[in-house]
Amino acid sequence: MSEFRIALRPALGSAVKPAPRGVAMTAMPEGHVVQVLGSPQGPDLSKMLLGKNAGASPHAVRSAGPGQWFIVGDTPLSHSEFTTIATGLKPHAAAVDQSHGRVRIRLEGAMVERTLAKGTAVDLDLRMFPVGNSTTTLLGHISVHLTRVDVAAFEIMVLRGFAESLWENLVRMNVEFA
Amino acid sequence: MASIISCPHCGARPREEFTIQGAVLPRPASDAGTKAWMDYVYLRDNPRGCHREYWHHTSGCRRWLVITRDTVSHEVETCHDAALAKETEARP
Repeated sequence: MSEFRIALRPALGSAVKPAPRGVAMTAMPEGHVVQVLGSPQGPDLSKMLLGKNAGASPHAVRSAGPGQWFIVGDTPLSHSEFTTIATGLKPHAAAVDQSHGRVRIRLEGAMVERTLAKGTAVDLDLRMFPVGNSTTTLLGHISVHLTRVDVAAFEIMVLRGFAESLWENLVRMNVEFA
Repeated sequence: MASIISCPHCGARPREEFTIQGAVLPRPASDAGTKAWMDYVYLRDNPRGCHREYWHHTSGCRRWLVITRDTVSHEVETCHDAALAKETEARP
């Protein structure tokens, strides 16, 4: 038995929210992130996922490539809740708990598209990338999962170890509008 | 190098999101002999014009794609998912 207890601390605990005019940045609650891995040739499970697992939060089920989805939420999942999701997906797909592994950041404001355009090549025009749309892309050199959660708001999901670095990058991208 | 690749799943993306794997070649049978396998693993043409290649959308959908690219103009003619289109050639 180790002398040290492993303590889970927020990935962006020390990060400071900059004073914004154009874009507000928020570290989202570290609730739950469930990765759903189905077959690329298999059926579209998004409707089935929405019905059972979306809860109250809009856009809780996000596409992440052929046969892959993320289910996200602000509250942590208990073991039994996760087991229910995983069992419900059989035999179409497997569920992987990524709650400890991925961190979500919310960007909101009039200049949010112009901020993100500094780091990614995705066409973020509202007509091309409407509310609820999501995709995996690069933001600078960091791989992220990007979702438009509102007309002028995006949610960025990033691997935990890259969260602080990405946050610093975003702050720098925001300086122009701060 | 092509600079914009239209991924069938993600749309137009810069080539920085992709990793190139090399020419699409028919894989020899497992008992084809040393010469066939040496050719398959090491020998490559350096074509001028249309060229079929495997690309991996590493920072996107993480799917393997087959791309027809013009090595002179860098234009990408076609781009489709290697597995979903049931490519007969196996991945190198």
